[in-house]
Amino acid sequence: MGWTGRILAGAKFLAPLAVLLVLWPILIRAFNVNPQIFPDITAVARAGLESIRDGSLFAHMGASLARVAVGTVLAILVAVPLGVLMGVSPGVSAFLTPLLRFFSVLAGIAWIPIATLWFGYGFGAITFVIFNAVFFIVAYNTLLGVSTIPMQVRNAAASLGAGRWTMLAEVLLPGALPNIVTGVRTGLGFAWRGLIAAEIIATNIGLGYMIFVARDFYRTEVIVFGMIVIGALWLLIDRLLLAPVERATIERWGMVRSA
Amino acid sequence: MKSLAIRNLSKTYFDAYAGAHVDAVRDVSLEVPEGEFVSIVGPSGCGKTTILNMVAGFIAPSSGEILVGDHAVAGPGPDRGVVFQSFALFPWKTVLENVAFGPKMRGVGKPERERIAREFLSLAGLSHAAERYPNELSGGMQQRVGVARALANEPDVLLMDEPFASVDAQTRMTLQEELTRIWQERRSTVLFITHDVPEAVFLANRVVVLSKGRVLEEVDIPLPRPRRWDALVESDDFKALANQVLQLVRSA
Repeated sequence: MGWTGRILAGAKFLAPLAVLLVLWPILIRAFNVNPQIFPDITAVARAGLESIRDGSLFAHMGASLARVAVGTVLAILVAVPLGVLMGVSPGVSAFLTPLLRFFSVLAGIAWIPIATLWFGYGFGAITFVIFNAVFFIVAYNTLLGVSTIPMQVRNAAASLGAGRWTMLAEVLLPGALPNIVTGVRTGLGFAWRGLIAAEIIATNIGLGYMIFVARDFYRTEVIVFGMIVIGALWLLIDRLLLAPVERATIERWGMVRSA
Repeated sequence: MKSLAIRNLSKTYFDAYAGAHVDAVRDVSLEVPEGEFVSIVGPSGCGKTTILNMVAGFIAPSSGEILVGDHAVAGPGPDRGVVFQSFALFPWKTVLENVAFGPKMRGVGKPERERIAREFLSLAGLSHAAERYPNELSGGMQQRVGVARALANEPDVLLMDEPFASVDAQTRMTLQEELTRIWQERRSTVLFITHDVPEAVFLANRVVVLSKGRVLEEVDIPLPRPRRWDALVESDDFKALANQVLQLVRSA
């Protein structure tokens, strides 16, 4: 896609949001909405500027992003080797696949009660929730990726002299990479949703906490501002970081042709 | 370059679907002297691919012995280069990196292995495609990469498993002519598997007809080289040999 195509696609994506922003103050005034039910756009903007000025936005955002980063990196570090190990051993993978599928559909927040019992409230419990949301999906996708590498490709590498470790580095990991990247993207999507829920329950800092505590003071403008940040941040991470990486690996690998 | 010897080779599978043991290969013995091109031809299910997979070391024989030179085969190894029907290229590597893979596994440094890869790409008529990825190439070009990749590792024996079966007929004839040219230049020891009788006769010094896991007959192909299709299709010798092999295959 060229630059003009990208700008056009971006404009198409932003147009409905712009319409919403225009309608918002009109509707608030037309129906004379109580700010304790739903805030006006100007109050939200003021709350946003205020949270930027006093630094609280960045503190919450930093806490949330740090949890996601730590949980995700740990999950990838454990899940990828495990997935490869399972992928090269059909017996083990057949045995573990149902378990992985079960845990990868289990919502991340279902881990919160037990996570808070194990780790207490705060960083540990929430990072654990993120870890689980990413871990099972990435392990499953790595397994899937390795097992979909055609046997002949592995045979080719072996007949060209690849040993156990070179097979891993040169064939299994790169061959599974498109699936791994897809797994990370999907897992992070779940992790982000789980993060907000976990922060509402189990901490005293973070974007989820920020919007939940505002509720106690009827600060709807802070709640709505927080919701916008949560959604926009995820869209930015997903569209600007994860999607391009996924597209690049899949296209490069030729598994999907310009889909 | 070395000779290939297959002695009393058998393979019995347990076919879970049929619930019975199947003798895919029965007591096959075969010699491919150094620098000779031997084709194995036979109908589907005759055991020809099973033989190649055992020689390549991808599957273990039930009994018998495979020798490359005087070295017994036990598993895959770089002494036997394989060209696959499905090409089996590494889609995440460029054409150059694919061809340089064998030398890389041997520990050859980057400039040297790229020099080797370019040499073999040029042999396969692919110099212009070095920096491209396999999925950007046609099937015929991909298989040229497959042949160059196997040759670049300087194997003692080249094993080819119906390498041209999945490219179109025109390209197939070109690839066959190129393969005979490359073979004449390098005098590799080649074991070539196919179900295509004219292809087997066109390429080989000797054609082995396989039937139900056994060697039915071996036919010498004393046709002069270089071989080209436009000359051979008119040749009575070629027609007679192809007909002889075809009769054997059909009786199989």
